[in-house]
Amino acid sequence: MANLNIRNKQERTYEAIVIGSGISGSWAAKELCDLGVKTLMLERGRNVEHIKDYPTTNMLPYEFEHRGQITQAEKDANPVVSKCYAFREDAKHFFVKDAEHPYVQEKPFDWIRGYQVGGKSLLWARQVQRWSDFDFEGPARDGFAVDWPIRYKDIASWYSHVEKFAGVSGNKDGLPNLPDGEFLPGYDLNIVEKHFQEQLKKNYGNDRHMISARCAHIHGNADFYAQQGRAMCQNRNLCQRGCPFGGYFSSNSSTIPWALKTGNLTLRPDSVVHSIIYDEELGKATGVRIIDAHSKEMEEFYAPVIFLNAAALNSNLILLNSTSSRFPNGLGNDSGLLGKYVAFHNYRAGVSAQHEGHSEYTTSGGRPTSGYFPRFRNLYKQETDFLRGYAAGFSASRGVRPNTEGVGMELKENLLNPDQYGPWYVGSHMMGETIPKESNYVTLDPNLKDPYGMPQLKISVDYDDNDEKMVKDYLEQMTEMFEKAGFTNIRTRDDHRAPGLDIHEMGGVRMGKDPKTSLLNANHQLHAVPNVYVTDGASMTSTSTQNPSLTYMAFAARAAHHAVSESKK
Amino acid sequence: MNRRIALRHLALISGGLAFIPSCDFSSDDILSAYKNLKITQSQKQLLGNISNVIIPAGEIKGALDIEVPDFILVMVNDCMDSEQQTLFTTGITAFPEFAKGFSSLGNKEKEAIILSGQKLEGDETEAGANNKAISFFLNTTKRFTIQGYMASEYIQSEVIPYSLIPGAYNGSVLISDIQKPRING
Repeated sequence: MANLNIRNKQERTYEAIVIGSGISGSWAAKELCDLGVKTLMLERGRNVEHIKDYPTTNMLPYEFEHRGQITQAEKDANPVVSKCYAFREDAKHFFVKDAEHPYVQEKPFDWIRGYQVGGKSLLWARQVQRWSDFDFEGPARDGFAVDWPIRYKDIASWYSHVEKFAGVSGNKDGLPNLPDGEFLPGYDLNIVEKHFQEQLKKNYGNDRHMISARCAHIHGNADFYAQQGRAMCQNRNLCQRGCPFGGYFSSNSSTIPWALKTGNLTLRPDSVVHSIIYDEELGKATGVRIIDAHSKEMEEFYAPVIFLNAAALNSNLILLNSTSSRFPNGLGNDSGLLGKYVAFHNYRAGVSAQHEGHSEYTTSGGRPTSGYFPRFRNLYKQETDFLRGYAAGFSASRGVRPNTEGVGMELKENLLNPDQYGPWYVGSHMMGETIPKESNYVTLDPNLKDPYGMPQLKISVDYDDNDEKMVKDYLEQMTEMFEKAGFTNIRTRDDHRAPGLDIHEMGGVRMGKDPKTSLLNANHQLHAVPNVYVTDGASMTSTSTQNPSLTYMAFAARAAHHAVSESKK
Repeated sequence: MNRRIALRHLALISGGLAFIPSCDFSSDDILSAYKNLKITQSQKQLLGNISNVIIPAGEIKGALDIEVPDFILVMVNDCMDSEQQTLFTTGITAFPEFAKGFSSLGNKEKEAIILSGQKLEGDETEAGANNKAISFFLNTTKRFTIQGYMASEYIQSEVIPYSLIPGAYNGSVLISDIQKPRING
């Protein structure tokens, strides 16, 4: 019996365990496997294999019973996830339904999740803009949160490393606040977007820029990506269904199959992580406890290095639930700050308008990206009555507008032979930096459990006065820029959405220099438990304005190399 | 009890003396496929007639030829809330009274009735409530007729084929260089 247990334990022992198979977890696993580390990847959701498990990817519009729409019954059952723009008939199977993993909203928070192998990497918006020192130096310069323990120079080569492998298209724009990277050819802006670019130059000199957004799509160097079994992006804009070409980066199309090919990866789906095991005598983490999603049995796996990449809030949940007599308030939580200083991106506001000019032009074909405004507010110095600033999306489009007046033969003719182009529409949405605060936190509900018997996460995150001022400024500034560009019929909106719908929740396990005021060190190790690395959104000290996934990839790759070099010491 | 079945019972009880509009009740069962709506076979027929006025058959098939009424009922049944569903069913029930003898009218007259019904406005009275429902029913029917027709397999494969791969982006195309605007894919 004793021998059997020992053998059993050996079989469940690896050289590293990665919790989570999304963007950051799959990058940690890929790097570890490339470096020869026998790695177990745990994923709470079901397996999703590239192509095979994309049931809707080649469906035609008329093959969807409701032509893409979510039914009223689905909306009623899922008040949270049905707010997400991508929760539609073609991709709903990749989202967590509200009842599957309940949580407590101490304040309104839309927690959008994807529990499957690949996580939200199947669903993300694929925007990949680098951070610069304008971002890493933000907290120190402006006096909020704590100073990041790293700077751009620490991460720049890792950005390059992940960009080359993932495939990032973009232009060398030469902007100090949005460093250039390893780019495949960029996508074109259209004629009205270029017009706006020129107008910005004319009206604001070199202060404000709008560029073609860098995106994680293969737009060149096809032979290189063929090694991963991926092909050029076909401009289908059906990414959320999973791409049969592997045209955009997802864990499923890229890092996971690559890691599996090394022979070093063991992938275990349907494994809901309960906690990280801490050995009081050894003074380090020794493994991970899971609940099998089907049998509901608890099982343990062991490794000398643990990577926690469960996505920002779930990484908080797992650490909070990993209690021991050494860490009664959650693993590594000597500072008492675990779960605090959660922040997000403010996506509340948008501006739309029409453009009367260029009426003889339209566009053809598709592209997977659009325009991007890097932050210009408070960039070099504090210039407004709020801290930090916002990036913004921008695009112009034009379509054929069939005349739907009347009924009968004339209507039918008009529908089948549309010849009237509508006006050019232009639109922008804000992506505001929010300031991490102790009062924005997550904690475990003392009573409520989820269907696996895990404590429910209680989320208490809200906007503040800084966010309100920033919304106002964005609306004023974008309106002014639109007016100066000659756009007409300008409309502003503030939809007052709850935090969370941005799907950029961050923090709670922040990095910092001082164990008294942070959880992680400059290498993403828990100060108090250095063989546990957290390299997803939970580790973010501040949010800046850029879509964060690229930074998580770079963090995960960098930390994986650090872990391997530590193990050789 | 369904209003029509109630009427039929009344007719039987009174020895067939009651006035019954000239439609066939023999198969007027509630259609179980649209369980939220309690739509009868004859109401579905009426919906078919209306959708076929909105997009009639010709050289290219019309709405009824490609079963657009099914699509309309699926959408109303599955994708509308109960308040909208009640408006829709009240509207379809009130329509025969508003458009007396609809099925025997000529095409132009049918079109005129639908157009005027779409513009009806509601008020606080019972008749006003019916008017509101009729206009909601007709506008909903038109919207879903257009959607169901244009996003049908027939249109998107035989008439204006849908392209899953739209081609590389060109951000400044002269409209004068395009032969026919692309609308599918």
